[in-house]
Amino acid sequence: MQLFIEQLLNGVAMGAIYSLITLGLALVYGILRILHVAHAAVYTAGAYVGLYVFTLSGSLLLAVPAAMAVCAALGVAVERFVYTPLLRFPPFVPLIGSIAVFLAMEEVFRIVGGPYILSFPAELPFSGITIRGVVVSPAILSIYAVSAAVLLILWFIVTKTGLGLAMRATSQDRDIAGTMGINASFTISMTFVLGSAVAAIAGILVGIYYNQVYPTMGAVPAYKCLALIVVGGLGSLPGAVLASLLLGVGETLLIGYANIPLPRDSLAFIAMIAVLLWRPQGLLGGK
Amino acid sequence: MLLEVSDLKVCYGDIHAVEGVSLSIGEGELISVIGANGAGKSSLLNCVMGIVPSRGGKVIFCGRDITSLPVHERAREGIRIVPERARVFPRLTVYENLLAGCFGMKDKISFPEKLSWIYGLFPVLEERKSQLGSTLSGGEQQMLAISRALISDPKLLLVDEVSMGLMPVLVDKVFEVMEMLNREHGLTILLVEQNALASLGISSRSYVLETGKIVLEGASGDLLKDPKVQEAYLGL
Repeated sequence: MQLFIEQLLNGVAMGAIYSLITLGLALVYGILRILHVAHAAVYTAGAYVGLYVFTLSGSLLLAVPAAMAVCAALGVAVERFVYTPLLRFPPFVPLIGSIAVFLAMEEVFRIVGGPYILSFPAELPFSGITIRGVVVSPAILSIYAVSAAVLLILWFIVTKTGLGLAMRATSQDRDIAGTMGINASFTISMTFVLGSAVAAIAGILVGIYYNQVYPTMGAVPAYKCLALIVVGGLGSLPGAVLASLLLGVGETLLIGYANIPLPRDSLAFIAMIAVLLWRPQGLLGGK
Repeated sequence: MLLEVSDLKVCYGDIHAVEGVSLSIGEGELISVIGANGAGKSSLLNCVMGIVPSRGGKVIFCGRDITSLPVHERAREGIRIVPERARVFPRLTVYENLLAGCFGMKDKISFPEKLSWIYGLFPVLEERKSQLGSTLSGGEQQMLAISRALISDPKLLLVDEVSMGLMPVLVDKVFEVMEMLNREHGLTILLVEQNALASLGISSRSYVLETGKIVLEGASGDLLKDPKVQEAYLGL
């Protein structure tokens, strides 16, 4: 029973991290209808920048905002210089552009950071807790705290602020949003800022959790999170979070705990195929 | 003149939708542009709003050349459109649609007063204020589109085929509201319509658009009596 609960807690933590990455994809898909594969490279960049600033300063309080700022700039650069010029072509063209950016950035990480695994030796400012023999590590605790805070802030921005209203209006009808004085291109850039800053946080959390930062750490999330936005319902933010949490728990319990002989990373794609067969609009997607 | 359009051209690829249209509206006027389906009425209006780019000609608003301004800056100058088929935001509530309508100027226009004025004009919108736009009927969506444009207190209201697809009772109601807004609130309105009889009835001047060109213009009362207009647009 203790093992089960520990695995469940691990699963929720994994799911929370997936949701931080997937939300960026869902935001971008919602507003531009582009599958933003390069988002996973932004996430990797977040881990590298975070590690670099942490190594120099020894402070996560500096490393996290620095990584968020760099990733926000990176996300906007991808949007301005790759997606916006390619938007007038059919959707597969920006998708190919996105994959190209993703692969190119992986090579940049390899050249700059070296073709090996770096460790992320951050000491978290609090210790783990033990409740009735169930051990909760500080890394898991910080993943819970940080993702809950980020999800709450994102929810607030999207549903309660002027920027959120502009984002939702622009994603539903860009031209008509413009006729109300909403600057669509600014709103789109801000969407990339938000999604990319959150991806930076996810990159650092993963780096600390596994104590690993390496050039191809975005490869699996790149495709897994695409599957997740399909499962959640394309462009649906609550759907993206729900699908991510379910996958995190599912992976850990079915494959880690119940020992079903399948590769862990296959579950996301099995879920995607199942959803496409029986509920093509996704768990929480509209028709 | 509040709005002066001169020699405006709109093309989609090789198709010329608007070929050199000139028109003008003074402050406080209600002008209509009538014409058949495909005459270029919507293209003309969308080009004045800035949703569709022009391929020549000029748009002057309040004495300022706005031809090269993007749509959101034209909106901030005080132009609003009630688009064809309403185009309310389907996944925003009625209230959020109205909030989007006065984006960035909520404090300037005393939002609560405007809101209660709108709810007085169309009480059904208050009943449905927390429903999503997509759940409204066609007529309610059209009322929401009008309200969404009005709430920002625009200097110029462009109205695109507001009667399309509405029940006759609602068409009357909507035209009554347009007339009231013009007469009692001094709102300047440019109305584009297939429903020639109703729009000639409430406008002071009108233009007749045929295949992208203005073929006739004058006082609406005179156009109502014009045999060509009667035959082509009024079915008399």
